[in-house]
Amino acid sequence: MSRDEMLKKIKEIEDLRIKIKAGGGEEEIEKQHKRGKMTARERIEYLFDKGTFVEFDLFAKQLGRDYGLDKRFVPADGVVTGFGKINGRYAFCYSEDFTVIAGTFGEMHGRKVCKTVDLARQFRCPVIGINDSGGARVTEEMGALSVYGQLFFRHSRSSGVIPQIALIMGPVAGGQAYSPALMDFIFMVAKTSYMFIAGPPLVKAVVFEDVVEEELGGPEIHAQISGVSDLTLADDKDCLDKTKKLLSYLPNSYEEEPPYVETGDDIFRTSEKLVDIIPVDPNKAYDMHDVIHEIVDNGEFFEIKPEYAKNLIVGFARMGGQTVGIVASQPKVMAGALDYKASYKGARFIRFCDCFNIPLVTLQDVPAFLIGTRSERDGIIRHGAKLLYAYSEATVPKITTVLRKAYAGGYLAMCSKDLGADFVFELPTGEICLMGPEGAVNILFRKEFDEAKKQGKDPEAVRQMRLKEFYEKFVNPLYSAGLQHVDDIIDPRVMRPMIIQALRVCRNKRDELPPKKHGNMPL
Amino acid sequence: MGVTKKVTVPIVGKVVRVLAKAGDKVQENDEIVTIEAMKMEMPVVAPVSGLLKEISVQPGQVIQADTVIAIIEQ
Repeated sequence: MSRDEMLKKIKEIEDLRIKIKAGGGEEEIEKQHKRGKMTARERIEYLFDKGTFVEFDLFAKQLGRDYGLDKRFVPADGVVTGFGKINGRYAFCYSEDFTVIAGTFGEMHGRKVCKTVDLARQFRCPVIGINDSGGARVTEEMGALSVYGQLFFRHSRSSGVIPQIALIMGPVAGGQAYSPALMDFIFMVAKTSYMFIAGPPLVKAVVFEDVVEEELGGPEIHAQISGVSDLTLADDKDCLDKTKKLLSYLPNSYEEEPPYVETGDDIFRTSEKLVDIIPVDPNKAYDMHDVIHEIVDNGEFFEIKPEYAKNLIVGFARMGGQTVGIVASQPKVMAGALDYKASYKGARFIRFCDCFNIPLVTLQDVPAFLIGTRSERDGIIRHGAKLLYAYSEATVPKITTVLRKAYAGGYLAMCSKDLGADFVFELPTGEICLMGPEGAVNILFRKEFDEAKKQGKDPEAVRQMRLKEFYEKFVNPLYSAGLQHVDDIIDPRVMRPMIIQALRVCRNKRDELPPKKHGNMPL
Repeated sequence: MGVTKKVTVPIVGKVVRVLAKAGDKVQENDEIVTIEAMKMEMPVVAPVSGLLKEISVQPGQVIQADTVIAIIEQ
């Protein structure tokens, strides 16, 4: 081959590369922009550190041979795959290209996605899946179906090895919805995204419901009702920015520690405000976000599932530069009682943190698991068990602070000493007890109250006396500290320094589970 | 006008106080009813600003989860 021939060959390849990179062409790209969406490649460009993204399988060709697909030009088979750096650390990504036959999931498209997950797992890097697809490419039949299965298998096998984050930036329909569902976090973009296992036409034909896409599986439905989504973002850029932020808290795999970040916040900083946040009246609500804001570095908190089961708050923050997973009761919503949704939300978050060496900081103000007919029928026993199981199983450092109420199973479930907390602190306002004091007194002294009534005395006066006595005897921090259920009773103002000291001494904690294949979590 | 929003309670409870009446103008996050459940007082707030069209509970009344207790016209 002469030099000229060589240069010609190079040019041919480069021309084709440019043609493929143009995706579905100008017209389709304009449509994508009109929908308020960035293209697959624009998203990648925005997500990765400038100039670091390396694409592979650009030249991979569609495998479909029927209905004329083999004659069509399908650039990159509708998905961009590769790796690059995000916040200076490597990550893998696949980004579906809606401008290429609606980003449909054909066999080669699926193979490329599977390869991305495989490499990410092998090289111990997070994988970010950007979903924007009309679903399975029907003309490829079993090819598409089988590769879905292969992807589900890979997500499952990669679970707990590397963080897997799904970004829903357009439609995700049919079986493909289970790909994000098998990953660790799902972010959905407002107005442009939806997820469902069957779209409106099929729903209408089979179960006779008239419903629009947004009401069937829009971001609001999944963030507030189904609990499928972890966060709703304003637009594509917001979604990609928050993904970078989330990744900043996480290690690249289970074999690493989360990155330490110098935040500039003093680890000995005290907060006068903490004295006033918790109301004097034990029956009054307050917002636990205010407490979290005071104790974490620079008040920065990355909340997960903020719109679902608001009675329990979970999310990431840094304390003394170290990533922590915060699990906190929210007295402002449903008194902070744990219902089946909160149990699921908490357990899933705890297990993620445990997978990736993220210490758990728990803030308790919990009146109990939610009682009543509805709660029992919702299966609070089996769902509540998830929280008990997740905390018990977790071997990462576990630091708990009891702010006020810590009753019954709720106390245990919010990471008590008995579930393996490494340090438990109690504020002077703490009320750890087997059951709510009022209920306990009513059971214990019912006969005495009846007797008082018969003798013409005021039963309420007797009840108040017994209640006061019960509080003095059992429901105060000196009782729980006296029995070593808590390590110290602390001034609320020093919560932050105390928790940070505990986190630091636990940093090299080693705790092993008994040998087994895997536990049988109450799913 | 005309867009109405139903206010529901998330949990079974007893009404302790009713802090607004039909015809009142309410702002988003204004506490309109206080309920007691799980031994705690819980504020039920206006999800949106608007005109309180109807408030259908009284102090002492026990209400089930998801009961509509008020209607606000935006």
